[in-house]
Amino acid sequence: MRVEIDRRPIWVILAGKALRPVFFLLLALGFILFLQLPVPEGLGTGGMRAIAVFLLCLVLWVSNAVPVAITGLFAIVLVPLLGVLPRGATYSLFGNEAVFFILGAFILSGAVMQSGLSNRVALRLMEKHGGSPKRLIISIFLLAAALSFVMSEHAVAAMLFPIVLEISKSLKLRPGESNYGKLLFFALAWGSVIGGVGTFLGGARVPLAMGILKETTGSTIGFLDYTVAVAPLVVVLLIVGYIVLTRFFPVDIDGVENAHKVIVRRARALGKVRPREYAVGLILGITILLWITIGKTVGLAAIAMLSVMALFVLKLVKWREIEEYVNWGIILMYGGAIILGTALDRSGAAKWMVDAIMTQWAQTPITVIALFSLLAILLTESMSNAAVIAVLLPVSIGMAGRTNMSPEVLTYVVAIPAGLAFMLPMSTPANAIAVSSDYISVRDMAKGGVIMFLTSWVTFNLMAHFYWPLIGLR
Amino acid sequence: MTNTKILLVLSTHVYSDKAIEYAVRRAREEERQLVAFFLLESELAEEASERFSDIGFTGDRPSATLSESLMREYRQRGYEALGRAQIKAMEDGVDFEPLLKEGPYVSTILEVIRAHGIGLTVIQRRKERSFLHYFKKGLSVKVKEAASCEVVIIE
Repeated sequence: MRVEIDRRPIWVILAGKALRPVFFLLLALGFILFLQLPVPEGLGTGGMRAIAVFLLCLVLWVSNAVPVAITGLFAIVLVPLLGVLPRGATYSLFGNEAVFFILGAFILSGAVMQSGLSNRVALRLMEKHGGSPKRLIISIFLLAAALSFVMSEHAVAAMLFPIVLEISKSLKLRPGESNYGKLLFFALAWGSVIGGVGTFLGGARVPLAMGILKETTGSTIGFLDYTVAVAPLVVVLLIVGYIVLTRFFPVDIDGVENAHKVIVRRARALGKVRPREYAVGLILGITILLWITIGKTVGLAAIAMLSVMALFVLKLVKWREIEEYVNWGIILMYGGAIILGTALDRSGAAKWMVDAIMTQWAQTPITVIALFSLLAILLTESMSNAAVIAVLLPVSIGMAGRTNMSPEVLTYVVAIPAGLAFMLPMSTPANAIAVSSDYISVRDMAKGGVIMFLTSWVTFNLMAHFYWPLIGLR
Repeated sequence: MTNTKILLVLSTHVYSDKAIEYAVRRAREEERQLVAFFLLESELAEEASERFSDIGFTGDRPSATLSESLMREYRQRGYEALGRAQIKAMEDGVDFEPLLKEGPYVSTILEVIRAHGIGLTVIQRRKERSFLHYFKKGLSVKVKEAASCEVVIIE
């Protein structure tokens, strides 16, 4: 047996081992000390405790000291334990419609991936439209966006990554040096991000926002209403994104014949379309149609669950297969986030934060939209976008009364920008995987990302002021 | 002249022609065997797939596929990098041994140094991937401090 001797100075070894316990000890001390502070005027004890839980979750979400789902558990446990909300009321929030909608959407997305349908659609479209270097980039960019309209953007990035990697190998692109290599992976990452904000299905953050909106105000937003409200932003970002990429990284190859061969080989290997793929595609199509047409009447979650039931009744998926595609931690994360949002609202903490802090910075609708969208875009670069919703949305909805804005508009103001992470690999898994490929450096991502950040913020604000009133959003 | 071997360290995220040239030149001049070692940094692939799992809430299957796909790519790059080093060594008439292993950066390099009786290690400075590099030592410096042989860091 070999004994390895650690030759570092003893204080370095001890400091390394103590870092995590010390962090949690300081966090616990800070939390307890905060609870001992005198309660400010206008805020009750419950509100003070809700803010303490809010700050604790904020630190954990930003530091990533524990998985984001486990941070949700902190809210779930501390809110009733501190008496912010009664135990029964807290746990009943898990039965929120948004949680079941998210679950249904993820199971549906898992079935689409498991059946091979999404892979086939991706390869067929690339085969048909990716005949030249520029067309291949456009295909991947639009494909990633379009698939993210109906599936989680993270699932889309994970699914397309091996294909894009194989394409770059077939073209013999040098990692870190080839502009075309950068374009391929940027198209994948940014396409998924932009498409992810297009509908309720791109990620779970929009349903989460709807869940918090419903718990705090009782109102809701329809599937189609959301897509109509966000559509101009998606179109502008797709156009600007493509221009930014091709200006920053001009195409430096002449042809993509080898890549095309890879795509054709992969597509042929899938064989003929199987009845199972048709059936899953049909169920997905019908589900989306029902969400659009009767979603408001019967509820999005009920339709999602009906579709899940249909998948199993028709034996299109097995439970074991679905378990491989769905991460159940999502229930803890979203349940916890809804509990936190509701606790801030019902305890009066959100209103107090609005009165004491936010009104100094934002008093008119223009400044409210500018401030909250900026905060959401900035925060989403350093923390999970669902966590951004959990942190900002209760406060933004609290601005409704002060500014005469509808809570629905204030929900959009956080929910949409929270998905727009372009600058850093840590901001979203699609960016992280693009950088892990080594074709894109962190500097490349930040360089193009700054322009996308500014474009998305300015476009969002213009859209909110000029387009939204036209569709009745004020 | 000494009989000990020279270790050239290449890795997933650190590749340099300068380091290859330096190691091959030293091996030729001192008539030593060159062990070219490509380190597969598996934790980077794991980190990426964990991100999908933790933040993106993707299931085990997509996360595992992603990780496998990255590792396959890294392995392929390893063979290519070792191939380039071998060509350079053959051109210069240097005795060459390729090696490819997976593991954490510092401990795996130290293990190879011990196992192969290495007398000189040539390593490229490895950039830290976050702002933390302003506050902590680079991994290549850690190797230099802990290694039982001479370590040359190529900037």
